[in-house]
Amino acid sequence: MELIRKYPKLFQWLFLLSVFFTLCFAIDVPETYKFIRGQAEFVKDPNQSTYIFLGKEVRYFAFDNFWRLPPLLGWLPIWINDGLFFLLNEWMPMEFWNEDTQEFKTRPLVLQITRNITAFMTFLIEFIREILLGGVETIVAFSSWDWIDKNPWAELPGLPWTIVAAGATILSYKLSGKGLALFAGFTMVYISIFGQWKPSMQTLSFILVAAPLSFIFGLSLGIMAYKSKRVEKALYPILLVMQTMPQYAVLVPAMVLFGIGDHAAVIITMVVAIPPMILLTILGLRAVPPEVIEAGKMSGCNNWQLLFKVLIPTARRDILIGVNQVIMVCFSMAVIAAFIGAKGLGWNLLLALNQLNIGLALEAGLCISLIAILLDKMSLAWANKQEDYFGNLTFFQRHKNFIFFVGAVILGLILAYSGSFIFKDTFNYLFEIPHNKGISTAGFWNKGVDWIFDTFFVYIKAFNTWLITEVLQPMRGLYLRMPAVATLVLVIGAGYIIGGIRSAIVVGSLALFIAFSPWWDRALVTAYMATFGVIASMIIGVTVGTICVQNKITTNFMLGICDIFQTFPSFVYLIPVMMLFGITDTSVLIAVIVYATIPATRYTIEGLRGVPVALHDAATMSGVTKFQRLTKIEFPLAFPHMMLGLNQTIVFALFMVIIGAFIGTEDLGQYILKALSDKQGGGKGLTLGICVAFIGLIFDNLIRTWVDKRKKHLGID
Amino acid sequence: MLQNIHFNKLKDLPEQVKQFGGLVALTIFIILSFGILNVFWGGGDELIRKMKLEEERIAKEKKLNELISKLPSGILVTFDGTDNYRLTDELYEAVCNATKLIPQRAIMAAHFLNYEAYELYTINGNKIDDTFVKWDSEKNKCFAGYSVSGENVGVNKTENVSGEVLSFLSTGIDTRVYFIKNF
Repeated sequence: MELIRKYPKLFQWLFLLSVFFTLCFAIDVPETYKFIRGQAEFVKDPNQSTYIFLGKEVRYFAFDNFWRLPPLLGWLPIWINDGLFFLLNEWMPMEFWNEDTQEFKTRPLVLQITRNITAFMTFLIEFIREILLGGVETIVAFSSWDWIDKNPWAELPGLPWTIVAAGATILSYKLSGKGLALFAGFTMVYISIFGQWKPSMQTLSFILVAAPLSFIFGLSLGIMAYKSKRVEKALYPILLVMQTMPQYAVLVPAMVLFGIGDHAAVIITMVVAIPPMILLTILGLRAVPPEVIEAGKMSGCNNWQLLFKVLIPTARRDILIGVNQVIMVCFSMAVIAAFIGAKGLGWNLLLALNQLNIGLALEAGLCISLIAILLDKMSLAWANKQEDYFGNLTFFQRHKNFIFFVGAVILGLILAYSGSFIFKDTFNYLFEIPHNKGISTAGFWNKGVDWIFDTFFVYIKAFNTWLITEVLQPMRGLYLRMPAVATLVLVIGAGYIIGGIRSAIVVGSLALFIAFSPWWDRALVTAYMATFGVIASMIIGVTVGTICVQNKITTNFMLGICDIFQTFPSFVYLIPVMMLFGITDTSVLIAVIVYATIPATRYTIEGLRGVPVALHDAATMSGVTKFQRLTKIEFPLAFPHMMLGLNQTIVFALFMVIIGAFIGTEDLGQYILKALSDKQGGGKGLTLGICVAFIGLIFDNLIRTWVDKRKKHLGID
Repeated sequence: MLQNIHFNKLKDLPEQVKQFGGLVALTIFIILSFGILNVFWGGGDELIRKMKLEEERIAKEKKLNELISKLPSGILVTFDGTDNYRLTDELYEAVCNATKLIPQRAIMAAHFLNYEAYELYTINGNKIDDTFVKWDSEKNKCFAGYSVSGENVGVNKTENVSGEVLSFLSTGIDTRVYFIKNF
């Protein structure tokens, strides 16, 4: 009893682990158990048991429940599918006027709404695309094809690439100065001369629709949540799940509702991009000091004025960081949305990866990354920019950027016009460099890949074989060997020890949802891959972060690297690993490690940097060595922050594992990918996505609860 | 009173001990819940028995398929023939067990000596009902048969035809009955 009182947590953990292992050893693998025995496949097998719930028949392999729980939630995907079908095809049929046939037509309400949204989105995308690339669709939307035939001059010409490049450079200069202007100029020239102009503008056009709309919806919902507790409470669980939900999973139900194409991509991007905007808006508005609000009220502001003249301008920085996040999410979605037909760089990248043309994929990936970095830097510069008040500036000084832009437009037009004479018999390179007519380094990279394979094949294969047979397979086997009861005891017990009964109930409910879904085995495989990635990432991240933080220059350098790497859309990480390791699990895991190391490194650096200087001085004065200071003072104090890094690392790893399905893993991601090409995949995709999100949320809950307690204990809350 | 005393004793326990007790209780609760769930949803011995049977069937079929793929294409006989492949006693039994199909040629040949069956067969659109190919372990012979039924001059009739299988046809993919000796 005394020992329990002295080391209570240690005893609780020891007890929990011993129960876990006892259960693992006591419960044998059933003779009939085979991994991927179609429990999740919804296939018919004479050995399956069935049950009917809500009129839906669920077929499953009934095991001893201590080993695997029955899929009591197996009806959920079928029910979601039927629900979607009912909404789209049967619910509330109404008469709607059809412009084409000039008569009323009966259509279900939801179908009509989705079609109207689709038409609106398509119009917006086409409109921006035609400003950037030229076309006739927009003019036709306001007139007719007959009118265009009679007036061919009305065809919209695209903007010459020189003007867009100059515009981006001038805007970057205005926001951040010479450095960013140079980078913007380089990026624009690069994408142009490498023949990626058209796909880049296609990608940009869909981002230019998705980002502002996400901003408007995110800001509005954020304000509503700030104003009303009820709205906040309603939004909270959705925001929580969306933070850890893989973007893939959203594709499937949205595809059912909106079909495929750029418009569906915009809607999905908005669904993914709105949550961070809402969160940052709430965060920004909450951070407004009460004195400022008081001052606003005392000045006689009404609610509207208080919001737009006081709260939003004060929270401007956080809101603009939200804009930055929205843009980043839009870029990461550019590739994922290509799965449902979004045109542009993402589509090209996907196509190249499918053909295993690493060179082409690299070119497209580099373009996406460059544009993403540029827009990231530009939006951050906008967020950090202070308002300028020009007291004594001349007209030219005040409007020089605009004047330069007008000059650039005129010069660009002259260049494009003269180009039509210079390149009379070929393409007008001063107007637009066609997709396959620019410089291409694909051949060089492909040869490089071949050389790497020829030279290092033996070593790469040996490493691959060793990793798969000696590390990955046994680890996977161990995870699959865990009986359901043991896993749930471990998860719920951990929740109880860390956060009490409330935390135990939360994590238990999340784990039970997965256990009762038909994909428990797949979830275990996802968890094993993510665990491997997280362990490796944390080891690398903490080591690198700790070494770098010893020096200011290396700290800033490493944070800069993290910034750049974080900007890359997640799909881009697959290119170099596929170059080196081909289509194997190793590729996925290395991509996971690289991607997840970013938050691990960043949070380690920030945690160690956050240790008060006074404590450093106190330690130095007490005569401790550098190593003692690190281990006895800095690490314990920075540990809670580093654990938040672990939380982020887990989310990043899960995202990448799911994207790795593209290479061919056998986890939940693979099923999400399968659901994409399944007519009845909407419900499956969504349920699978929720399963992945819940894995993330289990760890999120455990880590956050622990961090809060620890911070309170250390007095650094 | 006694209950109150016990309750107060529990209340007075140190927080750490109470927490530990809570963990133990929670663990027992989870394991018990699984036990209860097992009563309603658990699939135990019945599933194992069914699956074992299924697996045995698959294994047997696989073995027979392997055997058939090794046989030469053409007619397989049980007696000394001129151009045909002669089956050993073991092979004869194995092929008999592997064969499922009785093609029309074999049916027509068997009708040669059963006019009733022939008439029913032709009047009712060349339809046959049940077929069987089975090994008779007492006689050490393979038997095949089928039944034809239908109306003949306004009367519903069923005729069973069966006999010893004297030869098989190997297509390279499967084996079929080639000749039924029904006399």
